[in-house]
Parts: sequence; structure tokens; C-alpha cells
Amino acid sequence: MTTTLVSPSPTQLPPSTHEFADIIHRLEAGGSMLPDTSENLMQIIGIYKAYAVPMDFYWRDLLYIAERVFLNPLPAFKYFLPKEYLDLPNHYAGDDADLRIWRGEASAHPELLEFMNKGEIQQKLPRLLHHLWHDRINMEFAEACMRAMFWHRRMYAPVNKFDAYLDTDEYKANADRAIRAYFEGNPVMLGLYKLFPDMFIEQVRQLSYYANLGLFWEVMAPVFFEMSDLYDEGKLKTVVEAMNFLVDGIFAIAGRPIYHHVQIRGEDYEIISKSKGFTWLYEAALPYVEAVFYRTSPFRGTKSYNAQARQVPAKQQDFHYGILYADVFPIGTAGIPPTLLMQDMMHFLPSYLVEYYKQHCRGEDDMLIQLGISFQRSMYNVTSAVIQALRTALLYPLDDPNPNHLTANRQFFEEQLDRFKRPEARLRDIQRQDYR
Amino acid sequence: MLSTLIWFPILGAIAIGFLPLPVARLKLITLTITGAVLLWTLWLMHQFDFNNPLFQFQEYIPWLEPLGLNYDLGVDGLSLPLLVLNSFLTWIAVYSSSEETPRPRLFYALILLVSGAVAGAFLAHNLLLFFLFYEVELIPFFLLIAIWGGENRGYAATKFLIYTAVSGALILAGFLGLIWSTGASSFAYESLAGQTLPLGLQILLLGVLLLGFGVKIPLVPLHTWLPDTYVAASSPVVILLGGVLAKLGAYGMLRFGLGLFPEAWVTLGPGLATWATVSVLYGATVAIAQKDIKRMVAYSSIGHMGYILLGAASLTALSLVGAVAQMVAHGLILAILFHLVGVVEAKVGTRELDVLNGLMNPIRGLPLVSALLVLSGMASAGIPGLVGFIAEFLVFQGSYSVFPLQTLLCVVGSGLTAVYFVILLNRTCFGRLDNAIAYFPKVEWRERVPALILAIIILFLGIQPTWLVRWSESTTTATVAAILPISTEQVAVQKIIQQ
Repeated sequence: MTTTLVSPSPTQLPPSTHEFADIIHRLEAGGSMLPDTSENLMQIIGIYKAYAVPMDFYWRDLLYIAERVFLNPLPAFKYFLPKEYLDLPNHYAGDDADLRIWRGEASAHPELLEFMNKGEIQQKLPRLLHHLWHDRINMEFAEACMRAMFWHRRMYAPVNKFDAYLDTDEYKANADRAIRAYFEGNPVMLGLYKLFPDMFIEQVRQLSYYANLGLFWEVMAPVFFEMSDLYDEGKLKTVVEAMNFLVDGIFAIAGRPIYHHVQIRGEDYEIISKSKGFTWLYEAALPYVEAVFYRTSPFRGTKSYNAQARQVPAKQQDFHYGILYADVFPIGTAGIPPTLLMQDMMHFLPSYLVEYYKQHCRGEDDMLIQLGISFQRSMYNVTSAVIQALRTALLYPLDDPNPNHLTANRQFFEEQLDRFKRPEARLRDIQRQDYR
Repeated sequence: MLSTLIWFPILGAIAIGFLPLPVARLKLITLTITGAVLLWTLWLMHQFDFNNPLFQFQEYIPWLEPLGLNYDLGVDGLSLPLLVLNSFLTWIAVYSSSEETPRPRLFYALILLVSGAVAGAFLAHNLLLFFLFYEVELIPFFLLIAIWGGENRGYAATKFLIYTAVSGALILAGFLGLIWSTGASSFAYESLAGQTLPLGLQILLLGVLLLGFGVKIPLVPLHTWLPDTYVAASSPVVILLGGVLAKLGAYGMLRFGLGLFPEAWVTLGPGLATWATVSVLYGATVAIAQKDIKRMVAYSSIGHMGYILLGAASLTALSLVGAVAQMVAHGLILAILFHLVGVVEAKVGTRELDVLNGLMNPIRGLPLVSALLVLSGMASAGIPGLVGFIAEFLVFQGSYSVFPLQTLLCVVGSGLTAVYFVILLNRTCFGRLDNAIAYFPKVEWRERVPALILAIIILFLGIQPTWLVRWSESTTTATVAAILPISTEQVAVQKIIQQ
């Protein structure tokens, strides 16, 4: 799965005058927004691996909450993943995979199981103690991502039909059936449902997003594991190859169905059936990137914004609090709570990345920030893959002989990079190797 | 016993300067010497009878008797706290010095020389002996600023030299004037303390001494050398300058100004209190306007030294013990502030308020340094529970009955301290650390230890102030009692007796 850079064709188009002209030319040559250096490659692959292990927990638990916890009014143990879900075979790993992306096992990753067993303290204690001590995988991060997607609905409409479906009578009828079945024999909750039906339906919509994100990450975890293995084997040698692996993966998996089924007393309730035709690329991947990488919300972290002083954009689509803009310092801002994810990733860093961090800034003392910035680099690479995939799907090949097509491509790239003109964007920073 | 405090560091300075000691071990050797001096001082403190207001552990060796100069040492409640402060801050200054200090042999030799000379000045029981020790530290300090200082060190060192030389000349003139006018044959302190000169002449001589010591403290408008010198000097040197040298001026003013001319002192009291108030308000208001945190701390020092003069001018038992306490408190607080500012400058590369921000950041900032800076700022602003509050409270409480207006204005000055420290802390420690520049080196434990020790002492003396005032209380009370007939308290006592 390797692709070579397309030779730029300077004779066909004049140089871009965009603020990020160099990056646009790089994209036009089939490159990534992230400069192609071995140091960048090492950082992003190491982080993909460190991200994939907790992600292996995130997707399992998201599906567990969507399918089993469902509308439990006191979901105190929703992060206590049962063995059934730890063993749940990933559809893209293992011998019985629908499409084998990762050559590893389909059940939970061994490093994840070891961490869940002993935690950071490396001592086996009752699970509740690990949980209360926060010595665990921070599902709060996954839920924050889910809420970001849920809050920024209507993204990529009308291509994204998932959102619109959540407001249909069909969806409401399906949800109603599941709600009544779940609370069967519980007159209090049924009475509440009678009084506040919209509240319950809205909760089910949120749970559908749990399922949506869970199914999205079920694909991404083996993708990242495989990239890490390929890098370890010396088969991924450039940032462009890493990006193209993602692009190829996106297309290979684009049609994976997005659905929401609920298991209630052994019976399967289809709230969103697979047959609805919602797909991984348009109904999960693109909204996820838009909601989590770009937008999220300004009310996380320790920095507060004064909306009345217009410090927060009036339109949701102008929000810019995602990881591509995030200040990964603990004091500062980020749409997602980056410290939680950074904390999770820190437990699973490959040794070469730990050694690398030890050599820079304050070594182990500020590894959390260093890896957060590596994560930012890696997500710019993922975003580059998404941009290239969109260009492939919607526009023209990079070596198209028609100058009008190349102009359209350039316009597309420039529009994409316009979003990084604002001062908070880290695109400028990641061009520098000393941004750590 | 007392000579050890003078000669051990001076001999140490000679050994470091001239013996072929390994350069890599010079800091350790100096630390050992200053540590031994500190331990000796603490032992002296342990042996000191704090109920006895007179000089203790006296040593007397006839030296140049025709000149009236004898080796006459003694320690009382006024000098003991300052001796301890000198020994302690010298150790702190050496500890906080960089391992990469250029020309370490000369640097540590000069520090030890300064330490011995300052101890000698605090212990001298003879005016001329005091003057000799007072002058001995002049050249070492000049070199310490001129060689190891920062930007504008040449200018600052020269200015310091000129001001301090003039200060010395004025003090010598005052001492000689006293000798000549009394016809005394000796510079012995005790023989001169009971002089009965006409009040006008006393005022004249006191005025000369006040100008001389006023430069050293310094008091407005004799202060202009201080900001330049403090800003130019390296952290260890400025700790000694602010923590010890300035106290030498205040000590001289109390010992020789108040001690030798009590009548004139009482007469000039209202003027001195007003002078103190001007210094306090000037120092505070100018500090507010500063953009350089080291310069801000330097101006704060000018303001805080004013409290000492206010306490001394009021001349009540409480205000005088407050003045001595303020000398110690100010020395400790200034030392920690300058040390922390030095660490900030070394790590961040700037002292500019407009550039500094967010240093409290727990991972990429300087969180412990920032926390200690907050504590030091609180101590300097006189927040209860810290040593600064105790000293200022004693001064204000003791002075209000004598000079209510000046005291109230000084309380305002204390409030202004809070203003500029809030500005300093808000801009330096809080806010968002700019991640474009936040690649500061880690603060080593070696750099944290001096500040931690100072913070513990500042906190301890704030909670347990008896350890601050017990040493000087009997001496200051006796000093006030000795000049009672012309003090306000005496009037009150006389009224009571008459009734």
C-alpha cells in the first residue's frame, strides 16, 4: 500500500499565492500538510500506536453503552467493560475479519488488557479502586468526541443522511419500541417517558452517536495498529506513505455500514438498521473529522470564553476548538479535553518515542505535552488523508492533464487551508520541527 | 568567640584566593566555610542571653591606642539578628551561585571577604573599627558587580562605588566631628555614648551621619544608585546587597545615629518619620510603574526600608523592636525575591513584565518558582502569617501613637506593595503560557533549595514571631528607656507619676 508522490506540474498552473502556498503545492504533489521528515514519521506512527490501544477500549465501550447500557438512568458502571465486549471480535482484524486490515488478533489488544489488569500503578487491585483513582482508560475523552459530533449535527448534509434520519418518524418509532421494551415492567420510567417523550428520544439519538463513533473507531484502531507494525518492519518509510495508507484505507472501508442495534433481554432491537445504507465515510468519518478535529466546543479545559464579548463565533460551523487548533498545554484551551487522551496515550507509547521525548524539552517531565504535539502532527496527517480522499472522490486526479481540473483541485485545497488561516491554527507550527 | 565570625571567612577568602585549591571544589569549600560560620553564629545565638540588653561576648585587644582605635567587639540584641542574617544570607548566596560562575576563585574569595567585613561592622564596638570594616566591603562589592554583573554593570558598579565612598566619607566626617567636638581620645562607643554636646551641634553631626547611612540604606533621594546596582548585580550578589549591605546602613543609623545622639534624634523625629513616609510612598509608587521585575523589587526595597526609619523615628519600645524585625524580615524577603527573579531570568531569558506570562503552568512553566514568588509577594505585602506582617505590624502599632499621619501614610504604602505585587504576579505567574516560547529549561533542585529554605523561615517567623523579636526586645526596650526623659513615653510616665 505505498504510493509515490505525483510530480508537481509547475508549467500547468502558476504558483499559488495563498498564505500556505508551499503546503498547497505539497498537497498538489500528493503530499501531506505535515512535512515529510523521518522525525515526523516516527512521531506520528508512534502516536498512532499509542492512540490505537486506548481506542481499542473506546470503540468497545461505546458500543457497549449504545447496545447494552442504553437508557440505564444510573449508568455508574458504564465504563466497566464486560468480558464479552473485550472479546468482541474486531471486524477488521483477526483470522475471521470481514476485511483484514491488521494482522493481529481481533480481541482486545494485549497491552490494553495488561493495563486494565494492573493499571499505571502496576498492581492488581479491585477494578473499582483503579476506577476511582483514575488509573484507567479515560472514556470521558471518547464521550466528549461523541458529544461534539452530536452537538454539531447537520454536518456534510445532504451527503450525510444519518442526522436527518434521527428526526424521522421511522427512527422515532424504532426508538419508541426499544424504550418501551427496555423499561418494560418499570412504571416509573414508563410514566416519565409518557410525560417527556422527547427527552428519551433525544437520549436515544445520543446513543446512536455512541454507536456511530464506536463503529468508526472499530475501523481506525486496526488501521493504526497495522501502520505501526508496518513501520516497525521498515515498510512505511515516509509521511506520504503513511498518509496514503490512510487514504487507501478510507476507500477500502468507506462503505462499512453504520447502524445502531440494542440488546434488551436477549432480543435485538434495530434502531438504525444496517439496511438504511448509512456508510462509514459519509456518516461517521467525515462528521467525526469535522466535529472533533476542527470544531468541538469552547467550553472545555480551563480557559473560559466570553460569548457576550463575541469571543465565541456566532455560527457553529465557525467553531475552531478542535485538535488542529488546540493548545495542548494543560492550562489553555482545546475543544476536546486533550489531557485525558494524552494521559491515555502516555501509557502505551512505543519505546522509541519515549526515548525521543527524553531527549527534548524537559524529557519525561513534560512528555504529556510533547506527545500532545505529536498527536497534533499525526492528526494533521489524518486530516490530509481526508482532504486527499475527498479530492479523489469529488474532484480530479493530481496528474490530470486538464488545467481546468487542476485549477479546481487547487481551489479545493485553498478552501481547505483557508480554515487554518486563523491564528489559533497549528498548521504553521507543525511545519517547524522544533515545535514540541 | 566573635572574632571567628570575622576572621574565619576572611582567612577562607585568603585560602581560596591564593592556595591551589581545585577549582571544581571551590563552591563546596566556600559553602563549608560559610556553613561553619552560620553554625557558629547559631551557637552564639544559643548562648546569647536575650534578657541582657548590654553587649555580650565582648573582646578587647588594644591596637592603635594613640589613634583611639582598638579591637573592641561586642554583640547585643541589635546586632545579633543582623549577624545571623549576614551568615545565613551569605550561605544562601553561595549556594545559589551558578556552578559555571566564571573566575570562581576571585568570586568566592570576595563573597567571603564581604561576609567577614560585614560581620566586623556589626560587631565593632569602636567607631573607627566600624568604619574600617564598613569600608572594607566597598571594593569587593564593586568588583562583584563590575565583573559578574549583567547589562550596564560597569556603570552600576561605578555609581555604587561613588555613592558608597561618599557615604563612607560622611560617616567618617561625623565620627571625627564627634571626637573633635567632645575632645575624646578614643573612638570607643561607650565613652562617646554619654556625650553632652549642645543640641545644635548634635543635630549637625547626626545630620551628617544620617546622610551617610541614608545613602547606604538607601533613603529617597539618596537612592538613585540602588535600582541600577540591584538590576545589574547577579543574584547571589544582589542577595547580599539587599539582604545585608542595606541593613548595615540601617544598623549604623540606629547604633550611631540614635545611640550617640538620642536628644537630636528625638528632636528630628518628626522630620525622620516624614522622610520615612516619603521613601515608603515613593518606593511603592515607582515600583508600580516598573516593567522590569528586578527593578520593581529594587524599588520595593526602597519603600520597605522606610518602615525601619519610621519605627526608629517613633522611638517606642514596640516600634524599635519592629524596626529591627523589619530589617530581618526585609532581608529574608528581599533575598528570596531576588533569588526567584534570578531563576526566572535564567530560565525564561527576560525580566520584562510585558513578555512574562503563565509561569504557573504545571508542566512547561516554573510552577514551584511561581508559587514561591506568590508567597514572597504576600510576605512583602505584609499578609498575616508571614514574617513581613509581623515586622510591619510592630512598626505601625508602635509608631501610630507618636506619628499617626506618617504611620497611616506608610500603611497606604504597604497597601501599594500589594498593588505592585499583584501586577507582578498576575503578569508573571498567571495567564496563559505562550507555547511558542515555552521551552524553558527545568528548574533544578539546586535552584529551588535556597528559595524553599527562605520560604520556610519566612513562614515560621510569621507564625512564631517570638523567634524574631526575642533577641532584640530587651536591647531596644533599654535603648528607649535610656532616652525616656525626652520621649513621648516619658511624658506619659511623668504624668502618671505626678498624678
